[in-house]
Amino acid sequence: MMTSDLSSSPSSSGTEFADPNPSTDPETNSERVQSQLESMNLSEPSEVSDGSHTDYSGGDDDDENAGAVEVALSNGNEGGVSNGCVAGTSVEEEIEGGEASSRAEYPVEMEAGEEPPSPTSSGYDGERGSSGGATSTYKADDASEDEIREANVDGDTASQHEAAWLPGKRHVDEDDASISWRKRKKHFFILSNSGKPIYSRYGDEHKLAGFSATLQAIISFVENGGDRVNLVKAGKHQVVFLVKGPIYLVCISCTDETYEYLRGQLDLLYGQMILILTKSIDRCFEKNAKFDMTPLLGGTEAVFSSLVHSFSWNPATFLHAYTCLPLPFGSRQATGTVLQDVCASGVLFALVMCRHKVVSLAGAQKASLHPDDLLLLSNFVMSSESFRTSESFSPICLPRYNPQAFLHAYVHFFDDDTYVMLLTTRSDAFYHLKDCRIRIEAVLLKSNVLSSIQRSIAEGGMRVEDLPIDRLLRQKPNQGQAGHESPRDVSVGTGGPFGLWHFMYRSIYLDQYISSEFSPPVTSHRQQKSLYRAYQKLYASMHENGLGPHKTQYRRDENYTLLCWVTPDFELYAAFDPLADKAMAIKICNQVCQRVKDVENEVFLQGASPFSW
Amino acid sequence: MPSRRRTLLKVIILGDSGVGKTSLMNQYVNKKFSNQYKATIGADFLTKEVQFEDRLFTLQIWDTAGQERFQSLGVAFYRGADCCVLVYDVNSMKSFDNLNNWREEFLIQASPSDPENFPFVLIGNKVDVDGGNSRVVSEKKAKAWCASKGNIPYFETSAKEGTNVEEAFQCIAKNALKSGEEEELYLPDTIDVGTSNQQRSTGCEC
Repeated sequence: MMTSDLSSSPSSSGTEFADPNPSTDPETNSERVQSQLESMNLSEPSEVSDGSHTDYSGGDDDDENAGAVEVALSNGNEGGVSNGCVAGTSVEEEIEGGEASSRAEYPVEMEAGEEPPSPTSSGYDGERGSSGGATSTYKADDASEDEIREANVDGDTASQHEAAWLPGKRHVDEDDASISWRKRKKHFFILSNSGKPIYSRYGDEHKLAGFSATLQAIISFVENGGDRVNLVKAGKHQVVFLVKGPIYLVCISCTDETYEYLRGQLDLLYGQMILILTKSIDRCFEKNAKFDMTPLLGGTEAVFSSLVHSFSWNPATFLHAYTCLPLPFGSRQATGTVLQDVCASGVLFALVMCRHKVVSLAGAQKASLHPDDLLLLSNFVMSSESFRTSESFSPICLPRYNPQAFLHAYVHFFDDDTYVMLLTTRSDAFYHLKDCRIRIEAVLLKSNVLSSIQRSIAEGGMRVEDLPIDRLLRQKPNQGQAGHESPRDVSVGTGGPFGLWHFMYRSIYLDQYISSEFSPPVTSHRQQKSLYRAYQKLYASMHENGLGPHKTQYRRDENYTLLCWVTPDFELYAAFDPLADKAMAIKICNQVCQRVKDVENEVFLQGASPFSW
Repeated sequence: MPSRRRTLLKVIILGDSGVGKTSLMNQYVNKKFSNQYKATIGADFLTKEVQFEDRLFTLQIWDTAGQERFQSLGVAFYRGADCCVLVYDVNSMKSFDNLNNWREEFLIQASPSDPENFPFVLIGNKVDVDGGNSRVVSEKKAKAWCASKGNIPYFETSAKEGTNVEEAFQCIAKNALKSGEEEELYLPDTIDVGTSNQQRSTGCEC
């Protein structure tokens, strides 16, 4: 059985994370960790905080208090440790659970059947088998919010999640009276400030009109009091609200994700809507509060559902960075050069993408593309079938660039995976952009870029198994001659050296990240989703305001050992076997950083950052 | 079917407490009636799909509380309404007298674009009580009021017996739809010519 570091101690701030179980790991000692990091001579001799506190209840806990524990940790600096409280970092007024409900009770009567955090769901999303112990104790919790657990069909069998996932709306027959609807683990709603439904992840929007009205009533009631509701906790459920002018967005989730990330997801959902319609919809609501914008969004359900799906597989949704397809430096260089030429001819942004990954991109002078815009743009193109059939010219808005107005996007697929996007401010530029595309295509063919891309897709990205092991590590006694060959290494056969399962490296300056391919034992979609959820928490805890200047964090639970290292240049997130040795884990992380630096010309797009001009 | 555009209509039901707003709605949506009075707290929401002239649309019915202490909720609740149903009890003069207040309050709070022509429907409820002997508001009086407010359609109903309820809501739906249709005419085209506002680099740094 794991003697995990599971503890709910809300560490106050700074570097004084007390190790709750010091005896279980003799090396949980700040100085030691620091000296180890320093011994690697990496440029950033960071102050090390041994954040061994673990706030993963793992989701396998039937206890209704699991949510409360999480509040204690994620809002440790605010001291809000109450179940059902309205919390959140930007909350203007914190309402204690009891008070919130009593206040809400009199103005808004929610029919028992309409209460979003329905207690009926508590019986279902509970435990998932007892842990078997040892390294195989790998629980992938909360992984299937797509499906009801009993009816889960695309869980474990679908290891290639992107391939297995089908776009489009599911379960349109459901409404808020359906048991299946209530059991969905994560709902998203978009509605107008008059309570008219615009989008619901599950179920039929019109059948959910009453539910939608309830949401509006809650939001508007709090607004009427000059306040704002950000988060309501009810047992395991979090209800996250986001108000964007006349548009209300709500997420109801029992997936144990952080408030910050859920709110970020609503932000992206709103951004996706702006990308399709621009913020000029606000004016329509000003003119006419009855305004029904669903017809304007006709046919875009797949875009939204694909975005929602990406929240569980695409790290760009929480890292706010983009990732490149690994390519030989020359191929990317050749592509970049022609894209820059094209931009010089009056194109605002020119991109060659492979699925959701960047091959190369260029922008007109002083124009920079925000990673979130890139994410929304590629999601829009990838999820809209019609782009694949012919070259297209479509109005598109980049919410981070200018949410008020449309740009015009020329999109053309070279093959199933690779496409070019040319964005311009001119609505009459189609033929010019078509000429640009022909020029780009010629270069890509001449320089064999398209075949390089196909090769890269086939080969995949970085693998933890392929990490070269430093001489220094090989000399370590008891660790064998080379990590990936040593039969004595506890984790041989699963993942990379010394129990490294996976990593993500985010370059701050480049706005880019690279993540390793998934390796055993993190193979199923469910496990991958679970690992991402763990990363998201790690990310949130490192980026939380007011929790002090964390630079490293090491945490261990029954599922993983996680290590996070934040410097001014990069952020590293790594997952290890839960039994991994801490000192070795730290050394491996240094190796990973070194390795990424060694191959940076292949995995990153250099010179595309705003600092290049 | 998906190509057929569906319309959602927001309908607000207003009137003094105890005139039978919730009962009317229950009769209409659930075909049920209960003699027991349970005060509505804040608002109840019900949804009903209606077919009208070969079109399918959804009524989103906001059954509000009649008590004065809830009237501060007005703005939030009334915003974007497509139709407002005023209900009074034919056996209570006070509930009839208050109709003016309800109507004005609604127009102030919802501030519809064309208040003169905003679709209201008036319902005089509880015509069944005591065989009509306790009635204090005559049909004539009610109709006169309706005429003075721009020919508001008027229905006399019994939520208990279900009389005229369906008809009243048919009319509500029709009127709401009419007002909705006018709005459709100016669904704005959102396509702007992109301003070459290239300076607006929203720094990528987090």
